[in-house]
Amino acid sequence: MALITTFEDITIADLDALKHQKQAEGWRCVQIFTTHNDDDGSNDLTYTFHKDDTQANYRIKGITDKDVIPSITDVYFSAFVYENEAHDLFGVNFEGIAIDFSGHFYDLAMNEPMTIMSPEKKAAREKAARVAAAKAAKAAKEKAAAEAAAAPAAPAIDESKLAGLDPEKAAKVRAAMEAKAKREAAKAAEAAAAAAPKPAPVIDEAKLAGMDPEKAAKVRAAMEAKAKREAAKAAERKGE
Amino acid sequence: MSFATKSPWVIHYDGSSCNGCDIEVLAALTPAYDVERFGIINTGNPKHADIFLVTGSVNERNIDVVKEIYDQMVEPKVVVACGTCACSGGVFHDCYNVIGGVDKAIPVDVYVPGCAVRPEAIIDAVVQGLAVLEEKSKVLQERKKEGK
Amino acid sequence: MSKATVIPFGPQHPVLPEPLHLDLVVEDETVLEVIPQIGFIHRGLEKLVETRDYNSFIYVAERICGICSFGHSLGYAETVEKLMGIEVPERADYIRVILHELSRIHSHLLWLGLAADAFGYEALFMHTWRLRERILDIFELTTGGRVILSAVCVGGVNRDFDAQVLSTIKEKMDSIRSEYKQICNAFLKDSSVKNRLVGVGTLTREEAIKYDCVGPFARASNVAIDCRMQASGAYSRLSDFQPIVEKDGDCYARLKVRLLEVLQSMDIIEELIATMPAGDIAVKVKGAPVEGAQASNALEQPRGECYYYALGNGTKNLERMRMRTPTTANLAGMTMAMKGCDLADVNMIVLSIDPCISCTER
Repeated sequence: MALITTFEDITIADLDALKHQKQAEGWRCVQIFTTHNDDDGSNDLTYTFHKDDTQANYRIKGITDKDVIPSITDVYFSAFVYENEAHDLFGVNFEGIAIDFSGHFYDLAMNEPMTIMSPEKKAAREKAARVAAAKAAKAAKEKAAAEAAAAPAAPAIDESKLAGLDPEKAAKVRAAMEAKAKREAAKAAEAAAAAAPKPAPVIDEAKLAGMDPEKAAKVRAAMEAKAKREAAKAAERKGE
Repeated sequence: MSFATKSPWVIHYDGSSCNGCDIEVLAALTPAYDVERFGIINTGNPKHADIFLVTGSVNERNIDVVKEIYDQMVEPKVVVACGTCACSGGVFHDCYNVIGGVDKAIPVDVYVPGCAVRPEAIIDAVVQGLAVLEEKSKVLQERKKEGK
Repeated sequence: MSKATVIPFGPQHPVLPEPLHLDLVVEDETVLEVIPQIGFIHRGLEKLVETRDYNSFIYVAERICGICSFGHSLGYAETVEKLMGIEVPERADYIRVILHELSRIHSHLLWLGLAADAFGYEALFMHTWRLRERILDIFELTTGGRVILSAVCVGGVNRDFDAQVLSTIKEKMDSIRSEYKQICNAFLKDSSVKNRLVGVGTLTREEAIKYDCVGPFARASNVAIDCRMQASGAYSRLSDFQPIVEKDGDCYARLKVRLLEVLQSMDIIEELIATMPAGDIAVKVKGAPVEGAQASNALEQPRGECYYYALGNGTKNLERMRMRTPTTANLAGMTMAMKGCDLADVNMIVLSIDPCISCTER
């Protein structure tokens, strides 16, 4: 009979019916807590109830400063602690709390401290945004290169041009056109190869086979270091 | 040696600590470490106490209480900051509601690190505090003589 | 004609280990109403998830409270493991539960000592704390710390118990058991104790359910709730588990529940030591919680049910971590239990919920 946890999203309007229903069925109010959304400055309230082996979490999303949440302390008296705390720390407005401390439940150094993003979190978010932007740019670049490589090569031999020429000249022009096409294809292939990830240079086992173990180990280490350097260089080139 | 140092009475207050240091302060009174054999008694009345054992990184609401208890104590008095949180704020030094150590509220004489501070360290700190108490007591006596 | 006066109780009070302020509305010597004021230990720990990643946060979680320290580190680790879908090796589960039950014994012995001191029986306070030192010796032997253990990590435990350590634990348990029976007799059979505790601060079963009480406070009022019945981790390996319930709902019943729970915990530890499996003690944890993933958990700490919730956001820092501790849930029940009691009984009733204000306020 392990603990079963459920998560459900509800709205402020559902709260009234929910509290009466839970009380009638004999659920115990476990707690209420708030989560702050840094993206839009809104809060989410989560109510938790427990009965037998089930722990049910109900979340109300997107609560703003203008929303007033009806208190559940008329049914669940013990909730006054959580509602006062939510008001003091997050600025969620309730009406009708049984014992209302009006903001003096905790005497805090600042108002609604949980809604203020700490400098570390802000820095982490900005860094993540920069990394994501860089990744997106790289992906776009790779996609363009792949498209260029896959794009059908320009018509190699332009028959219309050759039609009006005399046979000898036509043959020379044809040869020139084919050579150009080949060159273009080779260039595209090279570009694709450059964009594609380079396989790490393999450790030359053949070389190591004939040496004595100590020297082999040293040479192996040198080869691995070289492979690492090459891979780093290739990655640097890709990143530019 | 003044008679206060022979049997100092301590008062203990939890200044926003996690309780770890507080239970170690109380453990120092119990048979395993037994400071009562040195005449040390834990009193609840600030006016009876010589040594103030404070724990915890003080929070906004507690600053006034800590200051109040310190002011109610009678000279000479010694303050011992027990535990890393009392010394500098500890693991909570960057919390929004914490001022970061007892010395930001009242003057401290002895700092004892540890998380939680060990009873042996507390006893050691009280003994060092006694030396400070001795000095303060001498200064008070001299001032009284000069005053006459 | 008597008037009602308001008497402030706390925050600094000889009987209170922690700062708690109560405004007692009193008429003659009877308490009419109680208005609790907390906020002396609020540090704002839940915000520290922004600056500590999910592995380092466990060191903050265990410093929420020094008495229930191990319980918080265990509950936090279990919640993050649920969030990330990590399965802990069986041996680690057993070690965790053994340490948690030892933590329960030490917490109850601590409370018994404070309760004895509160009704004036100082010798009993000294005896219970003397016994408690043996549990702290076990903690020091196994994890290196007396109060803050740092034994749990996300993915398992930090240290293993070898056969020598397990046999030492068993020896210490046996040595405590025989002396503990004497202490039980001193608490339960003494008439002066009964005079102070029987009929004081009664909470009926309906009231305990109405005010959402948890832990021994509720079990003393005939409400059988205990998270260990949900059998997670090594609790599911126990042969049998029945929560200890008393019917009277007064301070004496709460005392009895905690006294018997110590014996129950000793039995659990012995059973787990005897059946401990071999294996690893931790799994390597890589990566970060998925964005938007949420997990909630409940753990039976010495004071009652503790609720944990974690929300991930794709990085190594959790988006939100919530811990709702048992004393927060019992505050309403405590204020109701004090209505109509004598002024002299106030400190006993406050103590009988086993208040851990630093847990409540984090």
